[in-house]
Amino acid sequence: MEILKVQNVSKVYGSKKSTKLYMALRSISFEVNEGEFIGVMGASGSGKTTLLNILGSIDKPTTGRFFMNDRDITTFSKKQLARHRMDNIGFIFQDYNLLETMTLKENIILPLALVGHKANIIEEKLRKIVNDLGITEVLEKYPYEVSGGEQQRAAACRALIANPKIILADEPTGNLDSKSGKDLLELLTYINRDYRATILMVTHDVFAASYCQKIMFIRDGEIYNELYAGENKREFFDSIIDVMSVLKGERK
Amino acid sequence: MKLTTLALNNIKRNFKRYVMYFFSLSFSVFTAYSFFALMQNEYVLMAFTYDDRYKSLLINFGIIIMVFVMFFLLSSNNSFIKARKKEISTYSLFGMTNGKIGKLLFLETMIVGITSLIIGIGVGIFFSKLMAMILLDISLASFTGNIEFTISMRAAYITAIIFLTIFCLMGLSGLRVINKFELIDLFKAHRVSEGRSKGSKIVLILSILLIGIGYYLATNSNSMIVTMSAIPILLMVISGTYLFFWGGLPKILNIIKSNKRNYYKGVTLISTSAFSHRMKSIGTVMATIAVLSAVATTAIATGYTLYSNIEKNTYDVVGYDMYFFGGHEEVLSDIRTTFKAYGSEIVNELTIQSYMSSPRVNMTIDENSIFNLGKEVYFRVYSQSMYNKLASICKCNYRPAGYIKLGEAMYIHGYRFHEIDDKVKGQQLSFTDKTLTITSVSRFKAISFGVKHTIIINDDDFDSLIDRGDIRDANEKGDTYDKVTLFNYKNSLTSRKLNKELTQILSENTKGFRTAYTNYDESLQSFGLICFIGFFMSAVFIMMTASLLYFKQVMAAEDERHQYKILRKIGMDEQVEKRVIRKRLIPVFLIPLLVGIVHSMFAMKAADTLVFSNIIPVDNSYFRVLLCSAVMYLTYAIVYSVFYFVTKDQYSRIVK
Repeated sequence: MEILKVQNVSKVYGSKKSTKLYMALRSISFEVNEGEFIGVMGASGSGKTTLLNILGSIDKPTTGRFFMNDRDITTFSKKQLARHRMDNIGFIFQDYNLLETMTLKENIILPLALVGHKANIIEEKLRKIVNDLGITEVLEKYPYEVSGGEQQRAAACRALIANPKIILADEPTGNLDSKSGKDLLELLTYINRDYRATILMVTHDVFAASYCQKIMFIRDGEIYNELYAGENKREFFDSIIDVMSVLKGERK
Repeated sequence: MKLTTLALNNIKRNFKRYVMYFFSLSFSVFTAYSFFALMQNEYVLMAFTYDDRYKSLLINFGIIIMVFVMFFLLSSNNSFIKARKKEISTYSLFGMTNGKIGKLLFLETMIVGITSLIIGIGVGIFFSKLMAMILLDISLASFTGNIEFTISMRAAYITAIIFLTIFCLMGLSGLRVINKFELIDLFKAHRVSEGRSKGSKIVLILSILLIGIGYYLATNSNSMIVTMSAIPILLMVISGTYLFFWGGLPKILNIIKSNKRNYYKGVTLISTSAFSHRMKSIGTVMATIAVLSAVATTAIATGYTLYSNIEKNTYDVVGYDMYFFGGHEEVLSDIRTTFKAYGSEIVNELTIQSYMSSPRVNMTIDENSIFNLGKEVYFRVYSQSMYNKLASICKCNYRPAGYIKLGEAMYIHGYRFHEIDDKVKGQQLSFTDKTLTITSVSRFKAISFGVKHTIIINDDDFDSLIDRGDIRDANEKGDTYDKVTLFNYKNSLTSRKLNKELTQILSENTKGFRTAYTNYDESLQSFGLICFIGFFMSAVFIMMTASLLYFKQVMAAEDERHQYKILRKIGMDEQVEKRVIRKRLIPVFLIPLLVGIVHSMFAMKAADTLVFSNIIPVDNSYFRVLLCSAVMYLTYAIVYSVFYFVTKDQYSRIVK
């Protein structure tokens, strides 16, 4: 079942009067099905973060539309957008973006608290998810008191707790050492498989991308290529490197 | 690029932040200039020729204000520098030495400082006439003179020197702050907590206990005890306040946090955690502000209460615009012509004969009491109808009404001890063949005309006692007691010349007299100045404390900016954001204000016991005091809420 449908989305930066317009996205179209784990790759400046921001409805496209569950998000009002973010989207950011004024627990329950769920429901959901992700022990600690991996897992909990339709991850392994990075990728795979969560991950790390089922390559605001994971992970990894080197080679 | 250009550009770029800084700096310069100009103003000096202590009062007050202004400027300057940590560290990263950065900041401080010095003194000169007129108007009964517009060079000179010194100090302390910065802090600055404090139950209980005991002592109705324990009360309440903000409030926040049903609401969760995160760094500021607010509100409330009761108090003591003993016909005609000459009309005129009596009283004598009804006691006696006439034209507030039955008497005294009531009530006054019982007791100073004990009895009793010779209008030697003549007239409190003329006539021709004007004028001079100082001091305190809170919150906003970014990504909409900001900022302003006002209410209770119950002869004088104080509390609250809205506006703009 398709969960997200993007139609001819473009994003132009710079004011209309000035001649220096910058096209971050040029008429991009694609679809995402429920339960998919998709990677978005590209060099810096290719427009991948812009795409993620638009999908997360933090930013608005200049033209084009995109649908989630057949509802046109581009027509939403500000208030509807906020509600839409709360209900349907979970974010995992590169620098975790946990609020340092709150304990991990408070950080995780924040999306539910904002919607206004009852305390006992919140507690119940919290208990299940932190148990699964193994951070029950450090719940009462503050972000700066725990390791980067634990912070990242707490951020994942926060993204998951409201049962979002899609999880958007922006360079989630960017700040982690290779061990923690691998742990996180395994965590995302686990979430994707066991929670049947749809994940869209932006990355330029080939190793991270090799965990995805499908990869979209973006270059100069356009989809340049798509790759599907086959049986062999090693093969998939090599073909990603091939595409990336072509991408970089052509830029010269 | 030269350092000066860099400094100027920095100010230009940060202009929005600097506006408030400019404003409060200019305001403190304005305050200082106005104050020094007042002390130099010859009209003011002339008006207060009577008394040297006013000058020393003014000087002491000036020192307090300057110390406070210095404290305020230094601390706001330091937090200002801290807020620019990022910028300063960047300079340092590119190889600027600390000395050079210090020089840059010093230049900035000087540019801002000298500009606000000029503005402040300019505004001060502009309003100097007004300030002098306000001072003279509230502290002189009939100020009509015209003050010329003067520019006091000396005041400007002193102000400039003092503030330039303070600016230099600010530069030095800025350098100290810079030296404390570590470059590495730049990169992990907002990762580390500023100092969360869990609070402790013991501290919370201790702080409440300390404040509570202080309050309890302050409410004691015995003025001796209150005077004795004034300093312990101050120490207890102040230390209690600090403990409360250091350890008690964090504990309360923790208790709020443990109430999950309430705490798990998005807005409460965000604002409470953000607030408690800052508790340690803002706790001391909040406590200081609470204490200062208490001082300021008490000063202003005392001043206002005193001031607004001067007129009432005058009539409570004197009762009528004028009275004198011994009603010679010539004096009366002289007085009448004087009234005519000054265009004043007589409103009431009454002459009554004095009657005295000395019945036997069987009262146990308490040696220690100031109040005593001994055996040889003379009472002034009024019949019911005489008393009614006197009371009906009396200008004081509280005129006890009484219908006195046969065989009963009402006792009137001028003391303010309520114990008298119980002692005297029920006492028997034995005349030759009649005994009267005192059934009611009232305080009514104005009609006793200098006599300690007064009784009012039924008209029929009065007549029969006169017939029996128990009440006499002459003493044993046969000299008749003096008649008392009372006058109420128009413009009684506004014409100095009329009063002077009347005083002259009366002092030559009568045995004794009093005018309301003289009493009023004396009170105004002493209370008016106290009141003026109270207003002045409170105005400075309010402005400074409120802008200190403003600065602290604007600085915090810079730090908290990225949090709002995260929250918006999670799905916080604009309305929730507004509510979060409100809930985050309101306690910062409201808690110190409330604590300050409650402190002040108890301070006013103590002041009531010591001073006001003497001045305000109403049964429940504290109620009146509170009413007067409430006006000032409200003003204070209004100023704070204006600052709150300015802060909220700026805060929202920064985190956007």
